[in-house]
Amino acid sequence: MELLSNLALGFATAATVYNLTYCFVGVFLGTFIGVLPGVGPLAAVAMLLPVSFYLPPETALVMLAGVYYGAEYGGSIASILLNIPGTPSASVTCLDGYPMARDGRAGVALFSTAIASFFGAIFGVVVMVLLSPALAEFALLFGPAEYFAVMVLGLVAASVVSTSGALRGVMMVCLGILLGTVGVDINSGETRFVVGMPELRDGVSLVVVAMGLFGISEVMVSARGATRSYATERISMSKFLPTRAEWLRSVGPAIRGSAVGSFFGTLPGTGQTVASFVGYALEKRISPRGDKFGTGQIEGVVVPEAANNAAAQTAFIPTLTLGIPGSTTMALMLGALMIHGITPGPRLISEHPELFWGLIVSFLFGNLFLLILNIPLIGLWVRLLRVPHYYLYPTVVVLICVGVYSIDNSIFDIWMTLAFGVLGYVLRLFRFEPAPLLIGFVLGPMMEEFFRRAMLLSRGDPMVFLERPGSAALLGIALVLLLATAIPRRFLPWARSA
Amino acid sequence: MHRDRLISQVGPALMLLVGLAFVVGSITTLELGSARRMGPGAFPALVGGLLSVLALVTLIRNVRQPMGWDQPDPISVLAVAGGVIAFAFLTPLLGVLPAVVVSVLTTSSAVPQFRWPGRIALAVCVSVAVWLVFVKGLGIPLTTIRGL
Repeated sequence: MELLSNLALGFATAATVYNLTYCFVGVFLGTFIGVLPGVGPLAAVAMLLPVSFYLPPETALVMLAGVYYGAEYGGSIASILLNIPGTPSASVTCLDGYPMARDGRAGVALFSTAIASFFGAIFGVVVMVLLSPALAEFALLFGPAEYFAVMVLGLVAASVVSTSGALRGVMMVCLGILLGTVGVDINSGETRFVVGMPELRDGVSLVVVAMGLFGISEVMVSARGATRSYATERISMSKFLPTRAEWLRSVGPAIRGSAVGSFFGTLPGTGQTVASFVGYALEKRISPRGDKFGTGQIEGVVVPEAANNAAAQTAFIPTLTLGIPGSTTMALMLGALMIHGITPGPRLISEHPELFWGLIVSFLFGNLFLLILNIPLIGLWVRLLRVPHYYLYPTVVVLICVGVYSIDNSIFDIWMTLAFGVLGYVLRLFRFEPAPLLIGFVLGPMMEEFFRRAMLLSRGDPMVFLERPGSAALLGIALVLLLATAIPRRFLPWARSA
Repeated sequence: MHRDRLISQVGPALMLLVGLAFVVGSITTLELGSARRMGPGAFPALVGGLLSVLALVTLIRNVRQPMGWDQPDPISVLAVAGGVIAFAFLTPLLGVLPAVVVSVLTTSSAVPQFRWPGRIALAVCVSVAVWLVFVKGLGIPLTTIRGL
């Protein structure tokens, strides 16, 4: 059977001491960073991106992926213990997790989080194994016009989730695409927009943009806000294991949460936050104990955690098979692959099977690490939250500087990072979120390539994007998505009364 | 109130400027080519044009419903930027580790509650950690301390 031989190849790649070590390091660091409020998976992946350049591509991706889902898991620890979500997607876990902790059942909440996350993640991995090869095969039928349309859809999806409105999101995407055009144009060999700086010939580096926009500007925003440590309450850890009845009550929610999460994870732009919200809302409606949600019910912890971690895994499906990142963190993963000379897309699975299947098997190991790592370490994470916050920010700034500098020993890159940090800060002040910019920056050069190729094939007729059914359908979905969020609610008759 | 409205227009206005700059830059310095064989300037000009139009729409909508903006925090910006600037200046002069120490001390001045003993301890710990991780662990050739 083909699937078995693929998985065997994956095991051969992932189960080396070298890769397992980096998987473990990634998961550990990710959890560590995820526990700290304010520093999410995005900053964690961005900070470790330069380090990954020194590793072989499989190992780099295994480690970065470990950081990513480790941070997702870590975010829920702060939610339960302190009612402060370490990551946005963990905010749903606060609803029932924190009341449980207040009842002295923090241990039970954390334990069920660990189990539910593990279950959700494995569910997501299974979906990924079954769906990815089929999707990749389908995507092989795509021409340049369809690729362009898929990217437009991805970018629109990324900008409509922006809290300050779709219009501002699309503007940030445009800005990102424009920044991506700086440097040598691959088709003509001409340099564009280098404004007299020879260092810009190779374009602006992804690491510099990511570290500046998300690292430096994030620290500028939050450095002075958080001056005290959060953990002031004593947390009772006397009991870990849920009761028999709670175990039984959790099975259904875990499966439903995982299914909802797997679905939303594959959609570009929605990601874990939407997945956990929808999963929670659905469970509240169908559960016989739904009216008690919010008072510390175990289902209220299990559902969002299963959904969130399933989505974290299935988000890799569009990223790896289509080359379309669903979220900013996935855009960074994509960037990491491209820096290693691997083009994500439908051919990735057939051209680099060891990478794809190795990554999938590493997900299994990584989630197993999370499970065995976290139950004994819960006490450590609690203590970590008592460290005053302000120790964190200078450390992050220095790690960013050293990380950027270590890539090319280039001081110019440090100045660029600072410039992007200030840019990100100013944008945030005026309510422009930097996340869509990064997705535009990663996808921009590919979009231009496919756009020009499609126009060349159609002999200069822009109607090609509407005449080919695939691309027309994709652009139509993008348009509907955009209109649905851009039209003010008062113009929608059905939304007015609500 | 009037001033607030004016400031909230700065963001979209900046976007408009950037969009126009890319349009003008593409048209004046680059080849636009034809629709069939696009030159290097065509795509940036299109995207720059789209950005300008959207920025204009935002500017107009903003007159009726101004979007809020946040107060900047100059001390925090200066401290963090100062840390990065210190690193950029001192690394070529003294090497990475002294630059790390000065950078941590500069950045930590953002928080008044952060006292000197803690800051110095953090600076030492972070530079040891950088040395262990980047130089020893990953074997990246960095000039740790110049002249050593």
